[in-house]
Amino acid sequence: MNKLIQNEMMKLIAKKRLVVIAIIIGILVALFTYAQFKENERQKEKLGTDDWRTIIQQTIIDQQNRISSPRISDEWKQQLQIALQQNQYYLDHDINPSEPGAPTFMRIFLENSIELFIPLMVMVIASDIVSSEHSQGSIKLLLTRPVKRWKVLLSKYLTLILAISLIVAIAGLLSYSISGLVFGYKGWGAPVLTGFSVTDAGLNTASVKLIDQWQFLLMDFGLVWLVAIVVGTLSFMLSVLIRSTAAGMGVMLAALISGAILSNMVSSWESAKYFFMVNLKLTNYMNGNPPPIEGMTLSFSMMVLLVWWCAGLFVSFYVFTKKDVY
Amino acid sequence: MNKNVIKSVTMISIFFCLLWLVGLGWAVSEYYAGKPDKIQEKTNVEMKAEKKDGMHIVAIGDSLTRGTGDETGKGYVGFLLDEIKEKSKQDVRLTNLGISGQESGQLKQQIQQTEVKRQLKSADMILVTMGGNDLFRGGQGLLEFEAADIANIEKKFMENMNFIFQQIRASNSEANVFFIGLYNPFSELERGKEMSAVVRHWNYQSAELSAAFPKIVFVPTFDLFELKVNDYLYTDKFHPNTKGYRLIAERVASLLTW
Repeated sequence: MNKLIQNEMMKLIAKKRLVVIAIIIGILVALFTYAQFKENERQKEKLGTDDWRTIIQQTIIDQQNRISSPRISDEWKQQLQIALQQNQYYLDHDINPSEPGAPTFMRIFLENSIELFIPLMVMVIASDIVSSEHSQGSIKLLLTRPVKRWKVLLSKYLTLILAISLIVAIAGLLSYSISGLVFGYKGWGAPVLTGFSVTDAGLNTASVKLIDQWQFLLMDFGLVWLVAIVVGTLSFMLSVLIRSTAAGMGVMLAALISGAILSNMVSSWESAKYFFMVNLKLTNYMNGNPPPIEGMTLSFSMMVLLVWWCAGLFVSFYVFTKKDVY
Repeated sequence: MNKNVIKSVTMISIFFCLLWLVGLGWAVSEYYAGKPDKIQEKTNVEMKAEKKDGMHIVAIGDSLTRGTGDETGKGYVGFLLDEIKEKSKQDVRLTNLGISGQESGQLKQQIQQTEVKRQLKSADMILVTMGGNDLFRGGQGLLEFEAADIANIEKKFMENMNFIFQQIRASNSEANVFFIGLYNPFSELERGKEMSAVVRHWNYQSAELSAAFPKIVFVPTFDLFELKVNDYLYTDKFHPNTKGYRLIAERVASLLTW
């Protein structure tokens, strides 16, 4: 088994996919850093100050004005209300929700990339890990060895998990080191509030906890990793099922993008919450953003993801051990 | 391919894999089992407002402060700001805390927030528009127009404003406060004359109230809109348009001392 994994690892490194992924992440992080920097500048110019309290106060006022506008839908109004209450809570307790610094940037980057960006990067590796063997014809060489088929597949899957862990780590390291050039590297100990819960009545602050940013980050990383694993497993399944890498990627891409779109519009279609792709934004449960469909909780989303994960894994192994290879 | 490279990449991956697992476990346990902290609300946040160079204008109030109806989006506050920037050499900083549809009762709440107090404290000039929503309630007031009701609303409004002005003076005893009076957007409608009488009385009371406080100046706008009200109103026939806001801004600008 060890040898098999080593073999897979060697193929992975030889393909230089990880390097490509690191370059993509690096470029995007640099772009986002610049955008964030510009945004800060603009805000400073507009408000004449970089005092975060003034900035939040203005955000609250803007939100209040948008809520009082009659042309706004009820759902959007409720979301604004929750965001507003959260801002007010930060302000009342004198905690800066976005302490300037690389760790905060990293947190925001993770929260925004959990749904689409990180899964896309994972797909780059996962979707051709099996199907490329078909297209190169090397699958026959692999299967003629005196090893059980499921062992071959398992070694590929374990390699995938390791690669995913590495991708998440690369995303973290790059976002920290690049944004730190502009925003500074401090801020690990900044206070972050978690434990907001969203109810029908609005934002519930009864169980709010104050934790250090590094703790919050570690939790975020855990959640991002879980999402990446589930998406990776499903792409892995497609890679087993569909011989063409491009087709497998297309299917997965469609699923992910539909998830991003659905999250914004499904609040009235309740059974959509059983799709894996609307459950990807796990970090929302940590920072108190309302879930796309009412009544979704962290355990619910994780259960849904686990069920899809199990199904994906089962199908992959079942099909791979049964199918004819020619 | 170097064996060591593969080994070390594998080891690093395993390390991160375990680390993320720990994070995941922690997230779940924290989400479900973490004990809530008692976080103190800080009501006396270093009230020492940062006193910087330049002028700080704070605008509070309703949609008029917001600039609703002005195509340029500036509102009278924006026009006034432009004018001050032109005349004054120093930096001017604006904090616009206006909320559309706000009534005096809500402003009373808003003004007691710690951060709003802090802003007021650092202000060199404070602009207030208030009353339109109390009196007209978006046009509804016109339909159910009862003298006794109006008297009640007016009394309540004056009480609220009294409290608000006290709060402002308590936070900041130096800044000039300009309280913008009401105009009658309905003067050319049926019963417009009656409404005008109500608005005049309202404004008179407001002026009296302002006079009771030091450096609070009541700024009349009734006369500005009296003759050709529709020229100065937005299509909703309630808020001023760009011209209307310009008029108000000019009037306030003429009161400024340097």
